[in-house]
Amino acid sequence: MSTPASSEPVIHLAGVTKQFGATTALKGADLEVARGEIVVLLGLSGSGKSTLLRHLDGLETPTSGTVEVLGSSVPALKGKALRSLRSRVGFIFQQFELVPSLTVLENVLTGSLSSVRGPRLGLWGYSKDAKLRALGHLERVGLLDRAYQRSDTLSGGQQQRVAIARALMQRPEILLADEPVASLDPESSDQVMALIREIAADQGLTVVCSLHQVDLAISWADRIVGLRHGEVVLNTSTNGLSKAEVMEIYGRVATTTADLTAVTTELIEQGIATPAAPSGARS
Amino acid sequence: MTAVAAPRREGYVGGLLARAPKRPVSPERIAAALTLIVLVGLGIASLVQSGFSLAGVLSSWGNAQRFMTRVGALTFPAPLDLLWLIALTVGLVLVGTLVAAALSVPIAYLAASNTTPGPVWRGIARFIGVLTRSIPDVVLAMAFVLMFSLGTLPGILAIGIHSIGMISKMFADAIEQIDEGPRLAIRAAGGTKLQQFTAGVLPQVLPSWVATVLHRNDINLRGSVVLGYVGVAGLGLEMSYAFKALNYGRGLGIALVIFVLCVVMEIVSSAVRGAMLGETAQTRSWIDRILHPRLRRGAATASGTAAATKPAWAASPATAVRRPWTRERRRNAIAGWVAVAIVIGSLIVCQIQWGDLITVWAKIPETAAKFWPPDFGNYDTAVMLGAMRDTIAIALAATVLTLLPSLLLGSFAARNVAPNGTVRGIARFLLVGIRGIPELILAIVLIVVTGLGPTAGIVALAIGGIGLLGKLVADSFEEVDRGPERALRAVGATRMQTYAAATVPQGTRALIGHSFYMLDTNIRAATILGIVGGGGVGYYLLNAGQGSRYEVVTAIVLMILATVLVVEGLAMWMRRVFR
Repeated sequence: MSTPASSEPVIHLAGVTKQFGATTALKGADLEVARGEIVVLLGLSGSGKSTLLRHLDGLETPTSGTVEVLGSSVPALKGKALRSLRSRVGFIFQQFELVPSLTVLENVLTGSLSSVRGPRLGLWGYSKDAKLRALGHLERVGLLDRAYQRSDTLSGGQQQRVAIARALMQRPEILLADEPVASLDPESSDQVMALIREIAADQGLTVVCSLHQVDLAISWADRIVGLRHGEVVLNTSTNGLSKAEVMEIYGRVATTTADLTAVTTELIEQGIATPAAPSGARS
Repeated sequence: MTAVAAPRREGYVGGLLARAPKRPVSPERIAAALTLIVLVGLGIASLVQSGFSLAGVLSSWGNAQRFMTRVGALTFPAPLDLLWLIALTVGLVLVGTLVAAALSVPIAYLAASNTTPGPVWRGIARFIGVLTRSIPDVVLAMAFVLMFSLGTLPGILAIGIHSIGMISKMFADAIEQIDEGPRLAIRAAGGTKLQQFTAGVLPQVLPSWVATVLHRNDINLRGSVVLGYVGVAGLGLEMSYAFKALNYGRGLGIALVIFVLCVVMEIVSSAVRGAMLGETAQTRSWIDRILHPRLRRGAATASGTAAATKPAWAASPATAVRRPWTRERRRNAIAGWVAVAIVIGSLIVCQIQWGDLITVWAKIPETAAKFWPPDFGNYDTAVMLGAMRDTIAIALAATVLTLLPSLLLGSFAARNVAPNGTVRGIARFLLVGIRGIPELILAIVLIVVTGLGPTAGIVALAIGGIGLLGKLVADSFEEVDRGPERALRAVGATRMQTYAAATVPQGTRALIGHSFYMLDTNIRAATILGIVGGGGVGYYLLNAGQGSRYEVVTAIVLMILATVLVVEGLAMWMRRVFR
């Protein structure tokens, strides 16, 4: 529940409820994120993580409640104002969402579309300056030599790195990531998560990332927000978490015993928990 | 064991029959089945009535030989003239198709469910599509010949407007099938709607769009012959002059040139389509390799394996800003420049009088007044309805005649039915060859050889139909779920049993749909056939056009429209009932 000292909130959600027909995706969710903070939304699929993230970029409008991002009320924005807010917020998707038939460089350049007028066809449409900047971002994510390859010839982990470079093209202040590593193998997902963390630190970005792996979230984030059935059930800093608090996170977020035993075993191996602790969870 | 089981089973089955639910019979299904039977019956009846018989066709082959000896040798225009005519015909068709493609982009954008700004726009776009598709290009050409000083513009515009219907429909289908993710990503990055379209949608649909345009270009080249009959420049016009002058040797010579041109075009465009779509066809036979040559994807795999060593250009962003000339890039650049050169060449060949495009607007009201109101003029209504009935009879007979050969050839061309690669390759090759034959050329030759009458038209349409329907049958058989086929083979069914019990039942619905599409196409084509002397309503259409009785043209077009709409409605109903 502790908030960092530089507590200028860039994201402010209060009582956000979202209904899709009969189902309620978010139930009175509150969230405050300070500039430069790295927050993980934790929860199983269907817990409302994606819906919450999409509200922050104006891709969904709340049924009720307030959504303020970078000082403006998102649901009230339209047209140019909405596009300019979106350009300040980078979004990374689970399925990368690159255009498969375009080259890697062209995909990265699409991140700068909001700063130019009108459509762009092919590499000719972008200034040399933009191209240099895009190539710089590709170098940053370690894929400069793939710049002129079709994006669908890359592996999943590489594609997600391209997507990160595309988001950086926007010169974002906030980076939103929706399950960025759910479609990746463990090695690539470690690479991608480390990369996001490094870049965020370099550029002082605020990051809100949804995940469903508790262990990854604890080691990666400054703060964890747990969601279950659209409700915020947990909001805690990862700094100096006690053993009991870690167990509580599992208790609140994980809902199946299989999950619980699998992760507790891992925790025991890492020396965070003692074998005696999970006895209640086995049944 | 069987001795014990038998009596029990009998009793069980007896009780089961009583208990089993009766198969529900919906009246709609019966009605649809009856309609199908009636249609097929009508088709056979019109075949019989037209005096069609295999013996008759074969005996006319004797006529043909005698005719040929009388005609003497085929003659061709001087080589340079011929080259010019070929260039003019191909250029005119290509420019017309490209005009249609350009006009189709905004219409497809408005018509696709995921890009349309609203249902009203969508309705308007679809209406334009249906309207342009329904007016025969010959009628459009007649109108445009009136409005323009002679030249290539009437032909270009006739093709350009008539093709919008099909091209915009297929463009819109492609847009609806895209992966929405990339577009969402660009929206999330703050892109405008136009930017979302050009950066997120266009790159995804482009290969299929190019394939559509090439496909339509083939169709238009085949159809361009008839435009010559209403005065559009090119090989068709030259041929119609020759036949009018009773110079059969020259006319048939040009017909042969058009035929070869169409087949060559079909092969070229299917090769380009295959390369664009990155067709994953298993190249098992040499024929397959000729028809669908795939450009090697060497560049992609080469750079994939060379990942360990970084290329020199990738040292820093400053050196990487110039795109390296890889083999892939060279290939794409050459292909691109060739395409640009062909388009510019076509524009030059067409010698378009651009000024006409400005002066023409003033003539529109005057021309429109000539075409309205529709009226049969001094023709008897009964005569006109009879002519329409003849046209429908020709189309029905041709469709019925097409069904069996297409089913046979299409089955052999399907990968999961053909006994081996060679048979499949030969079947595919035959289908492409037949598809390349312009029905009109076939009809004209048959009419010239066997004399005027519906038989020539029916045979021409039936043969042309095999190419189209056979391909559609092959494709839909290849698309069926392979699971049931494997299951039956696992039970020990023979190849024939598997085909009858797993492949055909799954393909039936598509088969019915394709047959109605065939009927639809045949009705339009049968109209056109009349123009070259194949009987039916087309004869009156051409007469009215040449006699400047344009209100009659409109009346006939409306009659054709009504027929086509009825067939389309029937087809929709059938597809729904036999789901």
